[in-house]
Amino acid sequence: MQCRECRKEYPPIQLAICESCFGPLEVRYEIDAVRGAFHRGSFGGRPPTLWRYRELLPVSDDRGIVDLAAGYTPLRRARNLEDAIGSRELWIKDDTVNPTYSFKDRPVAVAIAKAREWSLPAVGCASTGNLAAATAAAAAKARLPCYVFAPASLEPAKLRLPQLYGGIVVPIDGTYDDANRVAFQVADRRGWGFVNINLRPYYAEGSKTLLFETWEQLGFDLPDVIVAPLGSGLLLTSLEKGRRELSELGEAPDPPPRLVGTQPAGCAPIVRGFESADGRPRPVRKPDTIVESLAIGDPGSGFEAIRSMRATQGFADDPTDAEILEGVRLLARTEGVFSEPAGGTVVATLKRAREDGRIDRDERVVLLITGNGLKTPAVWQDAAPPPAPIPSTLAAVDAYLGGRVHG
Amino acid sequence: MVRILVASPIAVATRGEREFEVDFQGTLRDLFDVVTRKYGSQFQQRILEADGALRRFVNVYVNGEDARFLAGLDTPIARDATVDLLPAISGG
Repeated sequence: MQCRECRKEYPPIQLAICESCFGPLEVRYEIDAVRGAFHRGSFGGRPPTLWRYRELLPVSDDRGIVDLAAGYTPLRRARNLEDAIGSRELWIKDDTVNPTYSFKDRPVAVAIAKAREWSLPAVGCASTGNLAAATAAAAAKARLPCYVFAPASLEPAKLRLPQLYGGIVVPIDGTYDDANRVAFQVADRRGWGFVNINLRPYYAEGSKTLLFETWEQLGFDLPDVIVAPLGSGLLLTSLEKGRRELSELGEAPDPPPRLVGTQPAGCAPIVRGFESADGRPRPVRKPDTIVESLAIGDPGSGFEAIRSMRATQGFADDPTDAEILEGVRLLARTEGVFSEPAGGTVVATLKRAREDGRIDRDERVVLLITGNGLKTPAVWQDAAPPPAPIPSTLAAVDAYLGGRVHG
Repeated sequence: MVRILVASPIAVATRGEREFEVDFQGTLRDLFDVVTRKYGSQFQQRILEADGALRRFVNVYVNGEDARFLAGLDTPIARDATVDLLPAISGG
C-alpha cells in the first residue's frame, strides 16, 4: 500500500490512512509479476464476474471471497440515444443489473473478502442507500453481522432493502455526512470493518473493474470519454487507477479517456472545486436534490477526483434535478434502461455537453449507469402518477386513447 | 471541561491518547495551542498546515458540527464542548 499524497509505503495491512500525513492509502501491485497472467489473451474461460481480473484485486486468500457474481455487466451500444443526442458512438455500461442493482456490489465484494481474511467480527457502512443494500447482501452471504448507518430521511425502499438482507439499519437524524462521522467513530471503537471507511483502500479496488470490463468489452480498447456520477469521487479515482494499471501493463491506448464527473446542482461540492483555482471541493452543508445517492456534502475523494478530471482534460458538470429526471426518461425511452437519478445525472451531462460542445459528436463515449431505477420509486410518485382505471370496453379504450392511431 | 475525541489513525499526534479533557474556553485555534503544549509540536505539525490552516485530511467537529461550517479556527469553544478529530474519509 502507498499513500496517494506523500507516497509513503506500507505492507498490505488493515490500514486506511497514512500515519505520516493522514492522506488516503491505495493498493499497489507488483506489475511485473502480474504481466504474464493479466493480458488480453488471458480472460477466455474466466468467470463472468469481477473476479476475472483477480490478479489486480487485492485478495490474498481466495477463501475470503463470497461470490454474489457481481460485475461483468453488459456494455450496450446506445444507437437510439445517439440519434436523440447527436453523437456518433455511445455506450452504456449497465450496472443496474448487479446482484443488488447498483455498482456498489463491486467494491463491497473486495471489502468483504478482506473482512473475512482478517476475521473481523462485523461489517458495516455509511450509505446513501445503494451501498447499504450491497453491504448487507454480501454480509448475509458471508454470515457476518452488518450495521448500516444512513440518513433516516432516505426514501423507504433504500432503508428497507438492507433490513431484508438481515442488516441492522441505524437511522441517523441528519445528513449523510452526519451518518458517516458517527459510523467512523463506531467502527473505530468497536473494531468493525466499515467497507467505505476503514476498509476503503481495498473497497476502492472493486470499482476499477468497471474500467477493466469496458476495456475488454470494447475489444481491449478504451473510449475517448467516460461520464461518471460523483458522490464521494472515489468511483472516478478508481477508474483512473484502473486505467493507470492497464497503461503500466502496456494494455491501454494513449491518450487516456477524458474523465467527466457529474453531480446534481443541489449538491455539487466537487464541481465547485473543479471550477476553483485551488482545486479543493467546496463542502455543502445541506444537500438539496432528488439524487440521494449523490448527496454527499463533504466528498472524501473529491480533491483527487478533481485532479483526475483535470489531468485527463475532462470536466465537471452539475445538471438540475429537472434535467436529471428528463435524463432518466430519455435513457428509459431510447434504450430501455431504467436508471436511478444518478444515471439521469450522467445522461443530462452528456446532453448539456453535446449542446455546448464540451463533448464532440465524433467522440466515443461510455456512460456509467450505476444504479437501478426501481430503487427510487418515490422520485416518480409525483412526476409519473399511476393512471386512473377505465372500464373494459372498446368504447372506453377508444376514448382513453383519444383517437391515437398506430399502424 | 472540553472533551476531545481523537480517531485512532490520528492519535499518533496525541501519543496514542484517543480521549482526553482540558479545562478551556476560547477559540478552536487557542484550544489547539493548549493541546500542542500538552503533546508537543508534532500535534500542531500533523493537524495544521505550515500556514496555520486546518489540514485537508483532518476534519474537526465542534459539538458534531464541521468546523468549516462554523468559523473555522475562530470557532468559539465553550467550556463543556466536545471536539472530534477525524480523518477526512467520506462517502462510497
